[in-house]
Amino acid sequence: MTKRGLRPARWKMALFLVCAFAGLVPAQMALNERVARYRNTPELIWIPSGRVLRALSLGHNGLLADIYWTRAVQHFGSQRVERKFEYPLLAPLLDITVALDPQLLIAYKFGGVFLSAPPPLGAGQPEKAVELLRRGIAENPDEWRLWHDLGFLYYWELKDYKSASEAYLQGSKHPNAAPWMEVMAAVILQKGGDRETSRFLWTEIYNSTEDVTIRENARDHLDTLRALDDIDELERRVAAFRDRAGRWPESLQEVVAAGLLQGIPADPAGHPYQLQPEGKVTVDPSSPVKLDYGPSPGSL
Amino acid sequence: MNSSQTLAIVLNTFREAVRDRVLYNLIAFALILIASALLFGEISIGIQKTILINLGLSSISIFGLLIAIFLGIGLVYKEMDKRSLYAVLSKPIRRSQFVVGKFLGLNFTILVNTALMSIGLWAALFYLTRGFEPRDIHIWEAIYFILLQLSLVTALCLFFSCFSTPVLSAVFTFVAYVIGNLASDIRAFGELTQNNLLQTLTTGLYYLLPNFSNFNVSAWVAHGNAVGREVILLNTAYALCYDAILVAASMSIFARKDLK
Repeated sequence: MTKRGLRPARWKMALFLVCAFAGLVPAQMALNERVARYRNTPELIWIPSGRVLRALSLGHNGLLADIYWTRAVQHFGSQRVERKFEYPLLAPLLDITVALDPQLLIAYKFGGVFLSAPPPLGAGQPEKAVELLRRGIAENPDEWRLWHDLGFLYYWELKDYKSASEAYLQGSKHPNAAPWMEVMAAVILQKGGDRETSRFLWTEIYNSTEDVTIRENARDHLDTLRALDDIDELERRVAAFRDRAGRWPESLQEVVAAGLLQGIPADPAGHPYQLQPEGKVTVDPSSPVKLDYGPSPGSL
Repeated sequence: MNSSQTLAIVLNTFREAVRDRVLYNLIAFALILIASALLFGEISIGIQKTILINLGLSSISIFGLLIAIFLGIGLVYKEMDKRSLYAVLSKPIRRSQFVVGKFLGLNFTILVNTALMSIGLWAALFYLTRGFEPRDIHIWEAIYFILLQLSLVTALCLFFSCFSTPVLSAVFTFVAYVIGNLASDIRAFGELTQNNLLQTLTTGLYYLLPNFSNFNVSAWVAHGNAVGREVILLNTAYALCYDAILVAASMSIFARKDLK
């Protein structure tokens, strides 16, 4: 065959390849719809033991831990996105992650917050979170912040102020621990779950974490605490209006008109507060600020 | 033993290895994998740098292992198959020199490859963090341990290639590598059984097998932790001793080998 003879053959081959690839796209699109139900299988953990996985990793346990950590985060995120709000694999995935890499601090911290928080915010398994954090403390004795995470878990989720105080006291004995750890141990034992203590601890979590999810969670709780402060103050002003006028105001504008407020204040998300019957003030239902964000300590 | 003759074999082994295309494919693949860690880190939370270091060190280790096995299994067999061995041994070179030269030559090749892959890892790290932290220096400790581990694999390859075919040598080496990684678990299993005979047997195996898990510090250094000086010294001594045993055994087998 001559070179000239080859050229049309090449063009034909190129045309065939382009057409064949063009045909693949609609075929794949049609398949996407049809095979979706076959792919919709429940998530499974084939090897549930971190110890076995560590042995099987042949020395690549660090990399495997990163993969399991990513899987834990993906599981948590995807359940939230799909609004399922159940996290059955979160505890076992975190357990495997820290068995593979006991120094992966972020896994203990993430687990401390999201394993313990009640649904829909977390898995509602505070006892697993305590177990995970105690394991983290045993594996990383130099990390005094894990004592803070454990103390906070007892304080916020379990409302066990005695254990919380003990955890802060234990953590405060670490040579590098922040001075407020010891103060916190005393304050919690004395005052229990007051709002100022909660605000301090959530602010500390917000400032110290590099994890975006944990930081957003802390910010949401701080917003809730600020909204609760605002509502207390607004209800005081509304009560003052009632004392003056002998009736509850119809709206917050009336309170403003009476000179008891400078204007209608907004919650941390920018939505104006709303006045309910009997002088109760609340947030706008469309506001992302939630007043019942997780179980709050008794005196909130 | 004439060191210049041994050096000539070392350099010749290196040159021969460098000509192998498989080597470049493996290095390129390892570098691509290290670069992909930058993307992989995006889908996780808070550990982008840890992922990069872990994936980088694992890539260096896995591809180093593949290079050591692929090149190591043919060290002696290829020379015999091509009959180039006869030309070498017809010169005033001892068989033991040939074995030592081959071992050192392959280790030199692995050193150069590991250095190239390490540059890739450090470049990716620089791209990610726009600078280095003082604690990043501990990554070199893990890389050094990978090199020690690979020198053991090379010695195993050389040992097996002295008396078996390349395919069988690869299988034997890989099995020894897997079992060597599980050495601690084998001993723990024996202790669990509470059977004296089994305990003695598994403890014996534990000390007999090359304990590759000694060199596993990647996850530790990925968090910026330092490896103790004693561990570095002991691991170096362990690897050198084991290498010496295997090379001596290879020399002994090769000395008795009928090359006709």
